[in-house]
Amino acid sequence: MYDDVLTLNELYGLKLRKLYHSYGYKHKTMSRFEDYDFYAKHKDFLTSQNILTFTDINGRLMALRPDITLSMIRTGITGKYYYDEKVYRLKGKSENINVNGGHGSSRWCEISQSGIECIGGLIVEDITQVTRLALLSLREISGGKNYALDVADAGTARSLIPQINRANILKCIQDKNIDGLKELNAPQELLHMASIDGDVASGLHYLSDECRQVITALNDPHIRIDFSALSNLTYYNGLVLKGYIEGIPHAVLYGGQYDEMLRELGHNGVRGMGFAVYMGNIGGIVGD
Amino acid sequence: MINIALPKGRLGEKICGLLSRAGYDFDGINEGGRRLVFMNEALNMRCFWVKPFDVGVYVERGVADVGFAGKDILMECQPDVYELMRLEAGKCRMCAAGMKGFRDMSERPLRVATEFPNIAREYYGRMGRDIDVIELRGSMEIAPLLGLSEVIVDVVESGTTLRENELEVIAVICEISARFIANKSAYKFKGEAIREMMRRIAHDNDNA
Repeated sequence: MYDDVLTLNELYGLKLRKLYHSYGYKHKTMSRFEDYDFYAKHKDFLTSQNILTFTDINGRLMALRPDITLSMIRTGITGKYYYDEKVYRLKGKSENINVNGGHGSSRWCEISQSGIECIGGLIVEDITQVTRLALLSLREISGGKNYALDVADAGTARSLIPQINRANILKCIQDKNIDGLKELNAPQELLHMASIDGDVASGLHYLSDECRQVITALNDPHIRIDFSALSNLTYYNGLVLKGYIEGIPHAVLYGGQYDEMLRELGHNGVRGMGFAVYMGNIGGIVGD
Repeated sequence: MINIALPKGRLGEKICGLLSRAGYDFDGINEGGRRLVFMNEALNMRCFWVKPFDVGVYVERGVADVGFAGKDILMECQPDVYELMRLEAGKCRMCAAGMKGFRDMSERPLRVATEFPNIAREYYGRMGRDIDVIELRGSMEIAPLLGLSEVIVDVVESGTTLRENELEVIAVICEISARFIANKSAYKFKGEAIREMMRRIAHDNDNA
């Protein structure tokens, strides 16, 4: 009805809201301004270690929210929620941020995200549903183009990546830099894992039983098993998701399971999984 | 269509030869002149010359699906791309160099002239040495000679230019060579063609 006045991002945002609502997710709104202390204490979980701060009228040091999931976990809520929110991050090569590219000098960016969080006593069916919603989200915003959902298991990666040189090894896996992994004397098993190029049949071996059940149940041709989808191994511990749309040069969807982060933050026995669609990345289709 | 970003200059010429031997020819690419874009209609491929420092930008932003960039440039700019293959072409070393006999005895920040400020900061950061980075765009060897800096961080191939300017290598920071890189998204949707390129290039690379 409002197609002629909505921007493309607003239109996609509404489509996604409708999708998440239809799966029983409730809308959640959160404040953009939060206590700095919380993020300072849990910097390891952030994509960018820098936080945009300001002092409120009472002299309290505040932060412009850098991450939705952390913000939601902080409140201690459980359940299934969707959101349209903004996060504030430093973008630039010094931070090596994987959002909108990382070349050029660093600058603060407001990033629009639409996504879901599923927090509570998650069972395999919940993880399957979140992954299905990631696929459906990509379909909704693809505009008829092809799309792909890369999945990996952060648990397997954690167990295979040695502590020594961990950050460099992870970077090589993310960049499919097999020569770099060899230079770092990465174990053979890790080389095999990093070489998996989307093929589900050969990739299943590197997934936990639970992740394997999810991927097998979905049996979707858009799913690729590819460990270059790994991101912060402190943040994610199970299934990791990274979504692409043909013609858009950057990933448009990031997500995964964060059970251990919940435990670290004092929520014992609670599991969580979610993803965010980076709305700002959707616009940049490159012509052929 | 597969779009290929090629680095202008000596490395680009070597890569052109490599592509040609791998069966990827582009009409007129070896004829000189100012043309920047070349097609191979039969293979549905297009390649274009860009500045070596810009290859990563073109690939990261998806204008090029694949490209060829020196490891020095990838380390410096850190584009978010797949680094699919190390090539034999463009082998050299990233070095710190100073005037012959130079010893770093000063307590003040070491003045380092370089085209690679991030690599220089990372290297000296690991050494725990404060530095004052002086960014230059070429003719690096002249900086210590004229007293602009104590040290340079630059790519060294044979070392002849250093020797002719009374400089010597103080430390080898890393070995570098050309890399075959790909846009992360393009790799998902044009993977078959990109992997075929890798296979053909690898054949020549292994025999280099």
